[in-house]
Amino acid sequence: MRSLILFSSLALQAALAWAQVPAAASPAAPVSDRSRTDEVEVRLISASSRVQPGQTVLLALEQRIAPHWHTYWRNPGDSGQPTSIEWTLPAGAQAGQILWPAPRRFDVGPITNYGYEDQALLLTELKLPQDLPLDRPVTLKADATWLVCREECIPQQATLMLQLPVAAQSAAGDQSARLNEARARLPKPAPFQVQSRLDGTELQLTWPAQTSERGKATTEALFMPQDWGRIQHAAKAVLDRQGDEWRLRMPVGEQPAKVGDTLEGLLLVDGQAWQVSSPLGGSAAPKADGATGANAGVVADPALGGADNLSLWTALLLALAGGLVLNLMPCVFPVLAIKALGFLHGHAGEHRRQGLAYTAGVLVAFAALAGVLIAVRSAGGSVGWGFQFHSPLFVMLLAWLMFLMGLSLAGALQIGAGLAGVGQGLASRPGLTGSFFTGVLATVVATPCTAPFMGAAMAYALAQPPLPLLAVFLALGLGLALPYLALAWWPSLQRMMPRPGAWMDVLKQGLAFPMFGAAIWLVWVLAQQAGPQGVLLALVGMGLMALAAWLRTISRFAGPRGRWTGALTAAASVAAALALLPLLSSESTDSVGAQAKAGADYEPYSPERLTELRAQGKPVFVNLTASWCITCLVNEKVALSTPEVRQAFQNTGVTYLKGDWTRQDPRITELLSRHGRSGVPLYLYYPAGTGDNAQVLPQILTPGIVTSALQGNAT
Amino acid sequence: MNPTSLFSVVSRRTVLMGALLAAAVGQAHAQAQIDQPAPAFNATTADGRTLSLESLRGKTVVLEWTNHDCPYVKKHYGSGNIPAQQKEAVAKGVVWLQVISSAPGQQGFVDGPTAIKLNEQRGSAPSGTLLDPSGQIGKLYGAQTSPHLYIINPQGVLVYKGGIDSIATAKPEDIAKAEPYVKVALGELAAGKKVSQANTRPYGCSIKYAS
Repeated sequence: MRSLILFSSLALQAALAWAQVPAAASPAAPVSDRSRTDEVEVRLISASSRVQPGQTVLLALEQRIAPHWHTYWRNPGDSGQPTSIEWTLPAGAQAGQILWPAPRRFDVGPITNYGYEDQALLLTELKLPQDLPLDRPVTLKADATWLVCREECIPQQATLMLQLPVAAQSAAGDQSARLNEARARLPKPAPFQVQSRLDGTELQLTWPAQTSERGKATTEALFMPQDWGRIQHAAKAVLDRQGDEWRLRMPVGEQPAKVGDTLEGLLLVDGQAWQVSSPLGGSAAPKADGATGANAGVVADPALGGADNLSLWTALLLALAGGLVLNLMPCVFPVLAIKALGFLHGHAGEHRRQGLAYTAGVLVAFAALAGVLIAVRSAGGSVGWGFQFHSPLFVMLLAWLMFLMGLSLAGALQIGAGLAGVGQGLASRPGLTGSFFTGVLATVVATPCTAPFMGAAMAYALAQPPLPLLAVFLALGLGLALPYLALAWWPSLQRMMPRPGAWMDVLKQGLAFPMFGAAIWLVWVLAQQAGPQGVLLALVGMGLMALAAWLRTISRFAGPRGRWTGALTAAASVAAALALLPLLSSESTDSVGAQAKAGADYEPYSPERLTELRAQGKPVFVNLTASWCITCLVNEKVALSTPEVRQAFQNTGVTYLKGDWTRQDPRITELLSRHGRSGVPLYLYYPAGTGDNAQVLPQILTPGIVTSALQGNAT
Repeated sequence: MNPTSLFSVVSRRTVLMGALLAAAVGQAHAQAQIDQPAPAFNATTADGRTLSLESLRGKTVVLEWTNHDCPYVKKHYGSGNIPAQQKEAVAKGVVWLQVISSAPGQQGFVDGPTAIKLNEQRGSAPSGTLLDPSGQIGKLYGAQTSPHLYIINPQGVLVYKGGIDSIATAKPEDIAKAEPYVKVALGELAAGKKVSQANTRPYGCSIKYAS
């Protein structure tokens, strides 16, 4: 039965192939799904015998290799050439990169190679378009090029073709189990933490000892870097045990990874190959250009003593400094200013308690943030600083909170203690709850501002186990709380503040406007996350809240019945606002893409586009930004969109790519983490040529910084 | 607490320590390193002379590891790419030396007369061909592939090591698209500039050393 189906499907394929092959394809060069040379027999295999539109098909290029010969992995080592496949596919179909199985190591005299012998199954995932017509087979053409070597090397190539019938339902082929099994055997991310360090001209990998001791003792470990030149392939790696850790030491190669780069490759332990992707820490001299190169060097810097815990101290100090700087950010400053007004009342003891409550609020909020990050990370997600701003719901709630605070400051809203302490209590009420929540609020509004000093500390923290991560976050919080705490603690500092008076009310009302400003900005952010409907919902909610505030205010001095009615209708109004929340959904239109279409001078960032431009050797400027990142917006305004910089881009032929991280985008998160960052902004300049090394520009830009970076290329 | 001063103190110490470490470890490496004096050697040439690197001081020297049977070498000789670069360089006073490190019995091994004849057949005209069947010079320089190229400046310092160009394939049609690293480096040297890409990935067949 099965063979009958196979036969008829083959017959069908043959018939369809005959019908489709254009007259130009001469019968002298028949194309089939297989081809062979004396050394290698190749075959193109699909896991599906029948495909459906929109499906992702698992394909494989199978190489059966003659004894003693081998083909190569993605990093072939000291010589050799990786197998490559060029696809010719139906319109709209997209083939992914080769999913490389773990290779083995070949040592030939002083030369080391990574590759495959006997057999290699090189998998590729192919995404078919949704609008694929049914009842007409798709033709997949693969031009495969490979190098096969024994003592001598022979470059070979073959054109392979596969036709697959298209139907409403896909069907698994007879090779499906084998291909899926091969996919399951691909190296997976290491289930234990692998850390990498550059120590002078030595590259070190460390991982916890117990993870590699299942059953037998680890006597051998091997690291195969994904890129050429990261290590001296042929040099012997030294494995030793340092307390609870295994340590693998290798001399660096001709193109060592830099501190802050992500080191990628496979770690072979106990016959298992694990994928490693580790931000490189270390003691190598930082790059002279720009603050960030140096930042990255400082992160895990043993220069202060040579022990790892000292680099934690450095990170803590940097975090503390970063927290201090956060106080000056436009998002935090108004909140703090309002709170500081409170010192004009009460006595010293009360102030100290308030200062402590505020600090507790900040620390609890930072601990919660760290907790969420740890939880998300342990669930395998990748998150960065400011991640909560990826949620439109969070942005809308924050906009409403800002609006309510504005109403309260302006005197339009009179509400009691409790959470509302954030509002009215901010300025005049001495409530400890109020102080606590001011601390929470200061943390919440601080997150979109990546202060210059936080980048390094955050990147360090995010790559750490939970405890150091928590410590760095708390240091950051302590830095944020410090100025207010100091003010609360030493009355002499308060004496430097002006005397109370009627001006306070005016100032308080005036501070309502930064709050409204913040609310407006958040609605604008929301516009890009959730589209016009999001804006509508946010504004309707604000209207309902203003209504509730008004109802409460006018019924305050009414009789008991009036007060009740006022309270109930106000509550109903707030409930109606909250009922809007489930209606909010993030829109999938790409705001940067939409703007690009409107005639802007940049293109949306995509890894594919970047690779393409780099392959052509063109200079590229990459700007990773987000609507909720104020530093980013300021930089764009004062530096990137000035005529001077635009002209410089044009003169030097730079392609300007902009990546919008307003919504979560793993491709941008990936590029950020490759440069040791966990948040935006990040500015990268790739000079002309095909090198893959980008110059990282500082997080605060001026037109001069950008143009001199571009000129550095010209000279 | 001034974050700027904290920062500059840390980074200054980092630079210092990094430099010390690099200097200490650098000593342990005997192999050919960029910006270090090129390892000295005495070699026998295909026409039976003895040549020392020392005697070429004052001239720019190119060392090109080769193996006439390797498909990657054939790509650059068959297309005339390497012979043209050799002629251009020699015309400008550069000493271009082929080095053959294949062991007897291995692919690429030839005696002197054969090496000279091969060059005549391929229209190739290097300044000389060094025979290194023991692999001593190859290992001294860490040569891994054929072709693998090294450039030594007139002061005897190694200024380039790596591939002939940027596209690691055996297809002659890729030559025009590739960045010609060696040609660019020689141009930069002639103009008194520093070599911008001094360390690139070599590609080709592995060198067939005596084991």
